[in-house]
Amino acid sequence: MNTLVITRVAERQWHALDDGLVVGRSDASPRPDGRLFLSIDAWHDDVFERLAEAMLATLARPLYTVVDEADLDLRTRWVQAGLTTHRREWEYVMSSGGDGAVPPPGLTLLPIGTAELDPLRHLDRTIRAEIEATTGWDQMPAAVLSRPLDPAYYAVAAERDAWVGLARLALLPRHTRIGLIAVRSDHRRRGIARALLAEILAATHARGVATVSADVHEANTAAIALFEAAGARRTGSNLELMIR
Amino acid sequence: MPKATDGIQLEGTVLECLRDAKFRVELANGHIVLAHISGKIRKNYIKILPFDRVLVELSQYDLTRGRILFRYRN
Repeated sequence: MNTLVITRVAERQWHALDDGLVVGRSDASPRPDGRLFLSIDAWHDDVFERLAEAMLATLARPLYTVVDEADLDLRTRWVQAGLTTHRREWEYVMSSGGDGAVPPPGLTLLPIGTAELDPLRHLDRTIRAEIEATTGWDQMPAAVLSRPLDPAYYAVAAERDAWVGLARLALLPRHTRIGLIAVRSDHRRRGIARALLAEILAATHARGVATVSADVHEANTAAIALFEAAGARRTGSNLELMIR
Repeated sequence: MPKATDGIQLEGTVLECLRDAKFRVELANGHIVLAHISGKIRKNYIKILPFDRVLVELSQYDLTRGRILFRYRN
C-alpha cells in the first residue's frame, strides 16, 4: 500500500487508489433529520484510516456512523478514528399472533390499511410535534424518521372523534418490522400502545408472518416494557457513533 | 474516475448469520465465504437473513472473505 492515494470523487464520496485500483470507498449521506452518516468499505486498516482521515478533515461536524455492536472489528476502526458511542438501539424480535386487541373502554382500533389519509396526517403531525418538543427526533431510531405517510401500513387508535395513537408496520419481504408506535401525550398510560401492538401482532399473524422485529432506543423504558410484556426478546444491538 | 476495483463480484446465498455480525455465504460457484455487510447496507438498516440472495465482493487478498454489497428481492 505504498502508493495509496485518497481521491475525492464527489462532494461526499472518496476512493482509495492503489496502483490505479480502487481498494477502498467511503461516503457520507444525510438522514432526513439532517445528520450526516459516514460509511467506509476497506479490506485493510490503513486504507480505512486514510479514508476516515479524509472525511473527518473535510466534512462539517458532528458526524455519525452506525455499527452492529457485535462487529468489534468495525467498531474498533471507528473508535480509533476518534468516534465515540452516542446511543444504542436494541433490536427486539417477537412472535406474531395472539387474540388481537382488547382496547381500553371507549377506544376503537382501526385495523391496518383502513385509516383515512387526512386525519392520519393530522395525528402524525401532532405526535411528531410532541416528540420534537420533548425527546427530539434525533433520539428516535432511524426507522421512525419522516417518510411518506401511507395508510396501508398504519393501525390507528381512536377515541370518540379524536385519533389518539398510531402504529406503523413495515411489511418487508421476510422481515416485517414495527416502524413506530406512538400515542398522544394526553392519552398515555391507558393501555393504548399495548392495544395497538396486539392489533398489529394479530394482523401480521393473519398474513402468515411468523415474527416481527422492532428497534428501540436503550433509554426508552416505556417501549422496552411494552415489547418485553408482549414476549419480545433482544436479538442484537446497533451503536450510533459520533464525533464532534 | 477509476472504475477498476480490487474486488471480484459474485452472487451467493446466505447460509447462516453469525454472532459477530458476519455471514456465511455460499457463492454460485459452490465456494463458501465469510462475509460482512457493506457500509451502505448498514446505514440503511437492511437486514440480511438466511436464504437471502446477495451480491458479494470478494477480497483479492483473501478469497475466503467477502463483503455483501446488495441484497436481491427474492
